[in-house]
Amino acid sequence: MSLSQSISISDSHPADPLRQFTKRVGVATLVLLGLWSLALWLTPYEPAAADFLNRLAPPSAAHWAGTDHLGRDIATRLLYGAGWSLGLSLAISLTGFVVGTVVGILAARSGPAGDFAVMRVTDSFFAFPELIAAVTFAGLFGPSTSNLVIALMVVSWMKFARLARALTLSLGESDYITQARLNGLSSRLILWRHLLPNILPSLLVLWTNSWSRTILSVSGLSFLGFGVQPPSAEWGAMLLDGKAYMQTAPHIMIFPGLAVLLAVMVINLTGDRLRDLMAGKT
Amino acid sequence: MKTLLIRFAGLLAVLFGITLITFTISYFAPGDKAEAIAHARYPGDFGIAPEVLQGIREEFNLDAPFFSQYTHWLADVMRGDFGVSYSSRTSVWVIFVDNLGETVTLTLTSLAIGLAAAFLLSAFAVRYPNTIWDRGAVIISSIGAAMPSYWLALLLILGVSVYLGWLPAYGTGTFAHLILPAATLAFWVMTSQTRLLRTFMLEAYNQPFIETLRLRGIPEREIFSRHVLRHSFVPTLTMIGLDMASLLEGAIIVELTFSRSGLGSLLAGAVLSRDLPVVMFLVMFFATAYVVINSVIDGVQHLCDPRNLKRAKAS
Amino acid sequence: MQQNKPLISVSNLQVSMGGKPLLSNVSFDLSEGEMLCIVGESGAGKSTLVKALQGMMPGHCDRFTYAPSSTEVCGAIPAGLGLAQARWVMQDPLAALNPRQPLGRSIAESLHKENLPKDQLRKRVLSALDDVELTADFYDRLPSQVSLGQAQRACLARALIAQPKLIFFDEPLSALDALVQKKIAQRMESLRRATTTTYIAVTHDLGFAAAYADKVLLLRDGTVSAYQSRTAFFANPQSDYAKDLVAAAQSLGALPEAAA
Repeated sequence: MSLSQSISISDSHPADPLRQFTKRVGVATLVLLGLWSLALWLTPYEPAAADFLNRLAPPSAAHWAGTDHLGRDIATRLLYGAGWSLGLSLAISLTGFVVGTVVGILAARSGPAGDFAVMRVTDSFFAFPELIAAVTFAGLFGPSTSNLVIALMVVSWMKFARLARALTLSLGESDYITQARLNGLSSRLILWRHLLPNILPSLLVLWTNSWSRTILSVSGLSFLGFGVQPPSAEWGAMLLDGKAYMQTAPHIMIFPGLAVLLAVMVINLTGDRLRDLMAGKT
Repeated sequence: MKTLLIRFAGLLAVLFGITLITFTISYFAPGDKAEAIAHARYPGDFGIAPEVLQGIREEFNLDAPFFSQYTHWLADVMRGDFGVSYSSRTSVWVIFVDNLGETVTLTLTSLAIGLAAAFLLSAFAVRYPNTIWDRGAVIISSIGAAMPSYWLALLLILGVSVYLGWLPAYGTGTFAHLILPAATLAFWVMTSQTRLLRTFMLEAYNQPFIETLRLRGIPEREIFSRHVLRHSFVPTLTMIGLDMASLLEGAIIVELTFSRSGLGSLLAGAVLSRDLPVVMFLVMFFATAYVVINSVIDGVQHLCDPRNLKRAKAS
Repeated sequence: MQQNKPLISVSNLQVSMGGKPLLSNVSFDLSEGEMLCIVGESGAGKSTLVKALQGMMPGHCDRFTYAPSSTEVCGAIPAGLGLAQARWVMQDPLAALNPRQPLGRSIAESLHKENLPKDQLRKRVLSALDDVELTADFYDRLPSQVSLGQAQRACLARALIAQPKLIFFDEPLSALDALVQKKIAQRMESLRRATTTTYIAVTHDLGFAAAYADKVLLLRDGTVSAYQSRTAFFANPQSDYAKDLVAAAQSLGALPEAAA
């Protein structure tokens, strides 16, 4: 099976690198999700279970990443925290992706006046730096997970709108879309068959970038007290928890930060690879 | 000329949008604004009479519908009257100017150090490709892009302040207080700019005229300092302008992590104490600064484009 | 060449954009099965003419007739997207094919309006691929997985599959190397002989015109410098410009013996 496949690839045509890469990322994601669920199931600890006899214990065989000031197992909390830090930022960046793409395509297709209006609204939102908007909103409306998510969603879509608009405008002039129009395809069909498949890869690169930035924002704002509140096991909130014990038990603040760093790096590198593939590098 | 006019109209529309968004947030912020004002006026007085609150509501037009309140506030803002802080009862403008210095000092110091380091690092990386310099620059810049700055701050505090005891961890004031925050922010500047500078310099190296210079026997060092550096300078400046927002965000996180005074701490404090005039001013300041900086960069690029220059001369 | 029914005729076509004239006083007429070669240097208005005829650029003329849709107008050419029963093969095959859609589906889109059932559509696409000498496994390949010549043949298949009355050919061979050019041109010619399809081909290659055209329309700066049958054009060019061109091509040996 694999032999015949490799032969057919080598002597007729090269495989589509983009599709291959997507497949590989998909498999890797599934494996990671499986490992994560397995770890959640196997860990003997609860994320919120205090154990006062074992406070601030350094890493050991029983507690791989040590325990925090309430004796909670840090490794277990990191596992649960992935749900918060990665999950929330995933939801936020996906919302930005979808909303921004829709706005951008609409702007590009609504004629010069509509385009001008929509893009100036986009620019107005774009002017507010993400972090400042989030601090302001979450601070005024009360620091909480939901307010943090709302604030970050409100400022998550503009980059996607700009990119989707620019791509739609430039592809609208392309020869293959002209051909599709000449062949009488409806604009809806052209959108699904010709436009989206060709603008999605660039938007996906932007999305990986947006996801990793949002992880930094979510954990950063939680660390500053404007987001997910302790005792929830969000990575930034765990750092906030551990800050006071820095002198006696530095391991409390090493591991959550490391988790953020690694997660963001993996996503960034995946996005970089995707961008290189699109540019035709192998 | 016409494109410039359209751009200017767009800029005005965006500035208008910024005021509208800012006001909408403050309008819908929970909490009785009259009470907040009353507490600011009569500190320590916890039983404020309903008549006093009613007076404040009338004075500040708080019962008027959204749009009428907005136009009043907008008129004040256009006159340069940004109001008075609820909590300190001083002019918002004065408070802003008081805190601006610390943030500017922090940002400029970090920018200078970070850029110098980035230039050195990427110059070595490009001059000596496929060596430890090149690999190191790539690795450091991808670590930097993923590094949570608040965590780097904590690590620096842990290492330099707690273990070594060399520098103070928290606070503002002396030069010693500036070192760790500036180092944190400079690291971010260095890594993000190294990534870009390396790309720009490689692009410059790949220009056909570089090969011509080499064939003419011009030494590698001169090619680098005369041509490659100069070639990569303009795109770098543009990128710094565009990344001003990220730099400000970084400064805010650093300020809050190190408990430094400055605009970031001012914003966080004002937000938590619901000092709306201060919050609104700061939010508008950041947004406006961003838009204006970008428009200026845009305009300069537009004017520098030789095609537009020719057109402007012809008409 | 047997004389067939007239297909398209244009007299005194004018196209201008923003007050600047791009084409003026262009006239020609073609019958079924004929090939017209529009030659001229870049910027002479060749592509403008192709677009204007398809209603994709505003053009005016004294009279415009197009038999398949029984169009007969005086004044503006009806604006719209393309002529009925006409197809357009573009210059750059990779730009003309959706990079993320298999060739088979791109070709099938040419029959979009006919609403055929899936299996019938697939059969037609496969036979169109066969017409341009591509095997069935090209159906599922992406443009990035084939050579430039194969991509251009797919574009040709996309035009042929609709069995159009008229095919616009916008420098379809200029992106290809000489061997592939010759192969595709010959294939196209034999297909043309088999049907009554009319071709309007844009080219700056006089050799191509000398080999395949029935009529030659030479454009210069948006006006007609010569409009003659092939034999007349190469034996006795109408204008000085045309004379110079033919002489230059002959001295380079770019023309086949028959035309010289």
